[in-house]
Amino acid sequence: MDFKSVVFYLFSAVLVFASLRVITARNPVRAVLYLVLAFVSGGGIWMLLEAEFLAITLVLVYVGAVMVLFLFVVMLLDINLDRLREGFWSYLPLGATVGALMALEMGVVIGGSYFDLFENRVPALVTDSNVKEIGRLIYTDYVYPFEVASVILLVGIVAAIALTGRQRRQTKAMDPAQQVLVKASDRVRLVSMPSEKLEDSVPQAGE
Amino acid sequence: MTLAEMPFILPDLRPASAELFVLAMACLILFVDLFVKDTRRTAVFALTQLTLVGAAVVTWAGTSGEVVYTFSNMYVHDFLADMLKQLLYLTDIIVLFYARAYVVDRPLLGRGEFYTLTLFATLGMMVMISANHFITIFLGVELLSLSLYAMVALNRDSATAAEAAMKYLVLGALASGLMLYGMSMIYGAVGSLEIGEVAERLQAGVANHSILVLGLVFLVAGLAFKLGVVPFHMWIPDVYHGAPTAVGLFIGTAPKLAAFAIVLRILANGLLTLSYDWQMMLLIMAVLSIVLGNVAAIAQHNFKRMLAYSAIAHMGFMLLGLAVGVVGGDARFTLNAYSSALFYVVIYVLSSAGAFGMILLMARAGFEAEDLDDYKGLNRRNPWFAAMLMMLMLSMAGIPFFVGFFAKFAVLQAVVASGQIWLAVVAVIFSLIGAFYYLRVVKLMYFDAPADPTPIQAPLEVKALISANGLAVALLGLFPDTLMWFCLLAIRLSLSVFA
Amino acid sequence: MDLKSLSLVAVFAPLAGALVAGLFCRVIARSVAHTAAIAGVATAFVAALLAFREVAGGARFNGTVYQWLTTGDYAFEVGFLIDPLTVSMMLVVTFVSLMVHIYTIGYMRDDPGYNRFFSYISLFTFSMLMLVMSNNFMQLFFGWEAVGLVSYLLIGFWYTRPTAIFANLKAFLVNRVGDFGFLLGIGLVLAYFGTLDYAAVFARVPALVGETIPLFGADVAAVSVITAICILLFIGAMGKSAQVPLHVWLPDSMEGPTPISALIHAATMVTAGIFMVARMSPLFELSDTALSFIVIIGAITALFMGFLGIIQNDIKRVVAYSTLSQLGYMTVALGVSAYPVAIFHLTTHAFFKALLFLAAGSVIMAMHHDQDIRRMGGLARYLPVTWITSLIGSLALIGTPLFAGFYSKDSIIEAVEASSIPGAGLAYGALLIGVFVTAFYSFRMFFLVFHGKERFGAASHGAGGHAAHDEHASHDEHQGLPPGEKPHESPWVVTLPLILLAIPSLLIGYVAIEPMLFGGWFADAILIDEVAHPGMRELAEHFHGAAAMALHGLSSAPFWLASSGVALAWFLYLRRPDLPAVWQARLGPLNTVLENKYYFDRFYETVFAGGARLLGRGFWQGGDVRVIDGFINGSARFVGWAAAVLRFLQSGRIYHYAFTMIFGLLVLMTLTLWVGRA
Repeated sequence: MDFKSVVFYLFSAVLVFASLRVITARNPVRAVLYLVLAFVSGGGIWMLLEAEFLAITLVLVYVGAVMVLFLFVVMLLDINLDRLREGFWSYLPLGATVGALMALEMGVVIGGSYFDLFENRVPALVTDSNVKEIGRLIYTDYVYPFEVASVILLVGIVAAIALTGRQRRQTKAMDPAQQVLVKASDRVRLVSMPSEKLEDSVPQAGE
Repeated sequence: MTLAEMPFILPDLRPASAELFVLAMACLILFVDLFVKDTRRTAVFALTQLTLVGAAVVTWAGTSGEVVYTFSNMYVHDFLADMLKQLLYLTDIIVLFYARAYVVDRPLLGRGEFYTLTLFATLGMMVMISANHFITIFLGVELLSLSLYAMVALNRDSATAAEAAMKYLVLGALASGLMLYGMSMIYGAVGSLEIGEVAERLQAGVANHSILVLGLVFLVAGLAFKLGVVPFHMWIPDVYHGAPTAVGLFIGTAPKLAAFAIVLRILANGLLTLSYDWQMMLLIMAVLSIVLGNVAAIAQHNFKRMLAYSAIAHMGFMLLGLAVGVVGGDARFTLNAYSSALFYVVIYVLSSAGAFGMILLMARAGFEAEDLDDYKGLNRRNPWFAAMLMMLMLSMAGIPFFVGFFAKFAVLQAVVASGQIWLAVVAVIFSLIGAFYYLRVVKLMYFDAPADPTPIQAPLEVKALISANGLAVALLGLFPDTLMWFCLLAIRLSLSVFA
Repeated sequence: MDLKSLSLVAVFAPLAGALVAGLFCRVIARSVAHTAAIAGVATAFVAALLAFREVAGGARFNGTVYQWLTTGDYAFEVGFLIDPLTVSMMLVVTFVSLMVHIYTIGYMRDDPGYNRFFSYISLFTFSMLMLVMSNNFMQLFFGWEAVGLVSYLLIGFWYTRPTAIFANLKAFLVNRVGDFGFLLGIGLVLAYFGTLDYAAVFARVPALVGETIPLFGADVAAVSVITAICILLFIGAMGKSAQVPLHVWLPDSMEGPTPISALIHAATMVTAGIFMVARMSPLFELSDTALSFIVIIGAITALFMGFLGIIQNDIKRVVAYSTLSQLGYMTVALGVSAYPVAIFHLTTHAFFKALLFLAAGSVIMAMHHDQDIRRMGGLARYLPVTWITSLIGSLALIGTPLFAGFYSKDSIIEAVEASSIPGAGLAYGALLIGVFVTAFYSFRMFFLVFHGKERFGAASHGAGGHAAHDEHASHDEHQGLPPGEKPHESPWVVTLPLILLAIPSLLIGYVAIEPMLFGGWFADAILIDEVAHPGMRELAEHFHGAAAMALHGLSSAPFWLASSGVALAWFLYLRRPDLPAVWQARLGPLNTVLENKYYFDRFYETVFAGGARLLGRGFWQGGDVRVIDGFINGSARFVGWAAAVLRFLQSGRIYHYAFTMIFGLLVLMTLTLWVGRA
């Protein structure tokens, strides 16, 4: 086993372990952190395949941006863990059996000749910069899916704004721009009233 | 190599002009919507409808019987695509007219986004219909799905809508994952994602069969989710029921056309060599769907839920047509079987649009008309609409001389031609059981007393459209051959088996 | 115009009329409705005449006019086959229909359902034309069911009368039995010939001779395919053409308005079965078993239904039983392979029977809807046109030489005499007795209605003199001519059709016998195996012109039988009107059998209807308690159970849904990867 293989198996083991912990960790913050670990290990494997651009993007975008946002969300939400885990044990036997069967069947199928096949198909490593090669592909052969993907992102934005953006009528949020423009006269209105007798005061109180 | 040296050839954009037009218009409408003060969004509505009409014109202008590839063979333009796209525009136009009054009455729905998301979903379906590459198929599906998730949740004050959207999103993501996994398996075995090339390499027999089949199972599962057949159907009743009716109408109609297109392109064009395996899967799912859909629909009290189960049963019936195209490696029956399935799906979309349209017609501000009891005595409130809904129900039930009968008949004869008589018998028996719940609607309308005797009010264009829709199922029953002929033509000109 | 356009016009003109009168029946005036309907049928009649001229000139048409749906190997087509047989039927149908349309203006004058009625009869004309002009079994079946539907609607036209509802339900159910056989026959045709097109089926017939269908396993018993098809198709014809034992609906169908009885239940629809068998002659010719079956059924119908005509007192029922009997004659003619003679009798019968019905209707109008012939008498003085046309009709019916019925009926009797098919001897005797019976009941009715003492207007009627002899005939007790009032002749719209129908009743036989039977008119439409069934050939050998036949008829047995029948009727009902009651008392048991119509109705009611009720009660008691209580009545339990299953499946929990998907995936994977491969 050469050094590359050792590194590969190391990253893979970490990746599998971290992924398992994502779904088994009791604390959601920990789960998110394990997800970060999983991404980093995945980036490592990509790096081994000399796809350094993808590896860096994965770490930068997912770990740097998406996961941080995730962490904020998870920490801000009050998640009732016990309620979430209700019934876990009662579902476990069935779920585990199905999962194990699935894994077994896939293992039997894939475990055989698959990797040999793949060995022969490793694409010729690019001599040029990885970024350049991806850029070329994206803007030539894959321009159509690339554009469609951009439309999907646009729809994501539209959907997000439609679902959350516009002000609700019943909302109680404050508008700072309005707040700083406030004048003293808006806050207190002094009303001069003539002195009145006691019995008349009741009907006029509402003025 | 400098930038200037890099080879860059502008792809031929003409075959995809309809997609480009719709995209441009969707962006324009998004922009126009910002400046529209009118709460009824009449301008946006009109622009959207114009876009669809324009797209129809553009597509029509580019229609020829030839198969043209562009964007490095990722996009295919053929007669099947043109026909399905025209039907798609037509369905969209009908849907928007039906939905108009409903969304105007409900401020959260009736915003510009309803129209732009419809257009983006349409674009996604167009991408699916014209896809010739697993990646484009996947992206088209995602574009459609994302728009639909948002549309279901658009009425954010409604807890049921939010729940439906959430379920749809999570299960949809799961299905996308399955599909993607299947695609990657197939890529691993074949080394290509382009449908034509996959077919060629499979023909050459270089691939590992077990891995291919494993990928196929996942792929078919993802497709089955989009069609909504058992056991990947669980989202259908909840989403149909939970989504605002206008959105339910959209989900229940147009996407079936696009889903049919990708199923046909992937399975019949790309993986025909594996037909033995996927036909078996389709058969199992078809039979399960027909059985479960028809039986479960009987127990429903909610019209939308009933239509949801009926959709499951109908999609199962359609799958029967797709599952009998190749018999013992003999592709003689392909044309007949697939054109019957296409005919079936078109007729289903037509009838389903009409049935949902009726719900929208009956609904008012603050009243949803989705319980079956709301249809009691409809004949006394408005005999004309009762007659229209009766025709739609009879057509869906497959009563002779309505077009639904011919759709069922076409599929059944394809099944019989393939020699699987027992399958036809099962399908017929459960269609008969299914007739019960359609006829129950008819019974409610004609023989029960109305709970609310007020006459029905609806805008003129909706009345006209629902009449046209109802009469169409009757008239197509008298003249089904032209449509059938188009279906045959589309399959023959577009499937690679016949090239 | 060519034949194709003519046939399209002929079919769709009545449909257009029906649509105008039907869709706008609440809006348009009566005059608009009847004008539209009559214009449609008149157009069809003219088209039929033109088509007749073309066909006589040698033109033929057999082709598809509309491809309904082609899918796989099956094609649903609307096509026409225009040949001599078709145009003969078209002429009969459109002419009688036109007459009935005109007559209806007078007859239905005061009915609130006037427009609806016109719509129905035009629709009927359309359906009947579709049936006779079809070139394939699918369209034949469509027409077959469509005429059945309109017949059902029209028998129950006065849907507020319970008897009418009973009658139309009965007609519907009895016809279901026949249609079941018919449909099975068509199914067999499709299964063995692979096509529903007449020409293609007939072309493949020789290849299927000798092929058998194994019953209960191959070695136990086998039946020839052709015989099976023929008998099944004929069972359909038995239902539609009211042959014993499926005849019970026809007398009751008299509940419908009289124009309908003339058009549907005498002239056209009930002859559809006869037409169908004639059309299928290439099939029937190959099965002597089926032909024998047909002969026997026809002979039984012809004789025994005639007997029933003798004791009827309702004017329409007398004519109805005579129709049954005449249909039996036609059926016998089919059975002895004298198809042209059957069609010939069908044609002449259509004219004189429509005439008799319409005349009966005229009498009924004059009597203010009292239909009991015992309360008529002496009407000849008041209804001269009706009287003379009735006389012509009756003379034609009993086969008086030179009248239309003579030629067709005598030809049938001669053809039966010449036939050697098993059952022909029996049929010959039955038909000869039938001639006597026909003459007797026809003139019994004629004398009772038009001659003798005037018995109408008697104050006592409706109280006790009117024995409730038939519960279905005793509606309208309160109607009838008030005492002292005299009947009046009907308006011209009623009498004109009578006169126009009387002319062919008088002449058509003389004119048409030679070309129709011996001139090869049907040569290419009807196929007869002259070696095996030489009846037609022998008939031709004995034929020396229409006049000679009439002359010869004067000395033949049927003439004397008919004459004696008329004489007996005269003696009993004009000369000694006291005798019938005495005889009736003396022949008590026989009379009882006849009055109960051989107990067919009783039998069906107890065995089938009662059996169904018993079965129903069994299901109710056995099934309800156990199944339905947990199913529909106590549907709570069923729905609860279904809901529980559904709740389990459709729990609303997303992880259940996801799990279902994964589990489904696992099952599919296992099946495809491991089970499917094995």
